[in-house]
Amino acid sequence: MSTIIGGQVLRDMVNDWIGDGKRVGGPGYVGNHLILYRWLHRSDELLLESYPRPHNSIKEFLFPSHEKLYHYKIDGQHIELSEAVLPDAQQIIFAARPCDAASLPILDHVFNWDYRDVFYNRRRSLTTVVTLACQDHDAHCFCTSVGGGPDDERGSDAMLFALGQDQYEVRCFTDKGKALFEGKLEESTRVGKVGPGPERRLDLETVREFLKTDFESPLWERQTLRCIGCGACAYNCPTCHCFDITDEKVGSAGVRMRSWDSCQMAMFTVHASGHNPRSRQPQRQRQRIYHKFEIYPSKFGEILCTGCGNCSRVCPVGLGITPVLTAIQEEQAARAGTGAAQEAGREKVDQ
Amino acid sequence: MVMNIYKPDLMKVLQVRQQTGDVKSVRIAFEDPARAAEFSFRVGQFGIFSAFGYGESTFNICSSSNWKDYIEFCFRKTGAVTEALWQIEEGDTIGFRGPYGNSYPMEEWEGRDLIFLGGGIAMPPIRCAIWYALENRDKYGHITVVYGARTTRDLVFQDELDEWAQHERTTIIRCVDPGGETPDWKGEIGFVPNVLKKAAIQARNAVALVIGPPIMIKNTLPVLSDMGLAERDIYTSLENRMKCGVGKCGRCNCGPVYVCKEGPVFSLEQMKHLPNDF
Ligand code: SF4
Ligand code: FES
Repeated sequence: MSTIIGGQVLRDMVNDWIGDGKRVGGPGYVGNHLILYRWLHRSDELLLESYPRPHNSIKEFLFPSHEKLYHYKIDGQHIELSEAVLPDAQQIIFAARPCDAASLPILDHVFNWDYRDVFYNRRRSLTTVVTLACQDHDAHCFCTSVGGGPDDERGSDAMLFALGQDQYEVRCFTDKGKALFEGKLEESTRVGKVGPGPERRLDLETVREFLKTDFESPLWERQTLRCIGCGACAYNCPTCHCFDITDEKVGSAGVRMRSWDSCQMAMFTVHASGHNPRSRQPQRQRQRIYHKFEIYPSKFGEILCTGCGNCSRVCPVGLGITPVLTAIQEEQAARAGTGAAQEAGREKVDQ
Repeated sequence: MVMNIYKPDLMKVLQVRQQTGDVKSVRIAFEDPARAAEFSFRVGQFGIFSAFGYGESTFNICSSSNWKDYIEFCFRKTGAVTEALWQIEEGDTIGFRGPYGNSYPMEEWEGRDLIFLGGGIAMPPIRCAIWYALENRDKYGHITVVYGARTTRDLVFQDELDEWAQHERTTIIRCVDPGGETPDWKGEIGFVPNVLKKAAIQARNAVALVIGPPIMIKNTLPVLSDMGLAERDIYTSLENRMKCGVGKCGRCNCGPVYVCKEGPVFSLEQMKHLPNDF
């Protein structure tokens, strides 16, 4: 048994939600070619196809590119603070890719590590995530290499599977998901299928072995010197969450803002003394890889990557997680090869 | 209402003291008496201080944790936020978030000799521990302070150095780089590591806290090790750039440790396990 829904019913639901004052975010065309997640005004802005995936991520629905942390008023020597208005509208992220939804339980860790971030948590609790299982993938996708897949359920409240002819199987995983589709689904025997997903090309064990010993490897310089430090990989990554805190003041009133930042920026780690522990771009690239595959797992037990491939999809110089990890694997394979060759050589001598 | 971890407490500026040409120390107190009553910290912890309209900056809380009516911090004018802090006057209001981070293991150090080594603007994060130790004088052995700066004009908390020297079992050595002395200079001339060596301190069961520019720390370590201090007995405080202070913004890590949460205080033994990322 399964439950299904027609595409028109889905689109009507989206319009009803928006009419009810809920915020709905989902993928849509911006111009003729670019597909991005964004807040929708009408259901016809929604792209209900699984391919290709948007070039950005859903993180901005929970962790906006810039937001107010609080307001202040300056009156001579006196300062008055007031809270920023927290959102209170329910929000539905619709037709997200599983590799986007999977980022949410991963991000929950850092935003609740001892200190709870009320901005992220508020949006998280207001959010219902409906994913669309992937039928297809492109050359940048690598979810299957990092523990995900085209129907990865992590972070999804419900998932849609395209059945063809504008019909979808709906699987609800949580109460939020069930509540959303309450009374809308028809019983059926049709079961959705997903594509095979990208071929598994990375072996994280091999990568981790390298990271354990090769912080100082020349590979970082060789492989990542060409990075121009634009940060596009980080801004379009569903799991990158570094931020800056700055002031915006006009006259005697202002706001303290938080905005996205990236470890790829030259100024990111400059000390007050002027010393910069990461003064060269390869050191910043190395940080990005270590944070995702070594540091975050050591703290929270999960890698900080869902395999969406946006980093390499948007990188102007052909870098990103897959190119760098592939280079690491090749290095490890070459070493194993040399090791094996040396072993073989030694055996020959022994004989 | 849920706590907004980024919203600071408002602090009244009680006193501003100009320490050098570009260093000031500031004494502040909570505006909210309830917050003042519940607040406590441990020496070695830091705070994030706001100049409203300009932004936030991270400094060690350089007063002793025994002082209940106010806290102090000290800064050098280096950028937009510290430029703005330079302008503040008594009666002004600034913001404070904290205390954050770990602290000096003052209890573990009880019964031992203490060696404090500081270079330049690194005195404030040592000062809090010195005051704390002097206020608990019976609990610690001999206290030695070697404090160096480029010139005589760059030494901060000069009056307090004199005051510390009055205490029993306490040796205060101040030094300036060669050429940085004045004709009437009575302290040592030379760099901290050399002055430390020359002082030939009897280090028995000692721990050292070393804070200063990387080059000073690097050159001091061999001297301390010749004096018989083990790596686990030498401590420092890292000065990584921070924004959030609460383990979120991803800025302060040195390899696997978030300096804002797991630091800033590390023993040399712990530092040895960190990658070269500082
Ligand atoms: S890896 Fe590519 S996308 Fe990322 S900062 Fe470097 S150049 Fe930009
Ligand atoms: S200062 Fe933000 S994570 Fe440490």
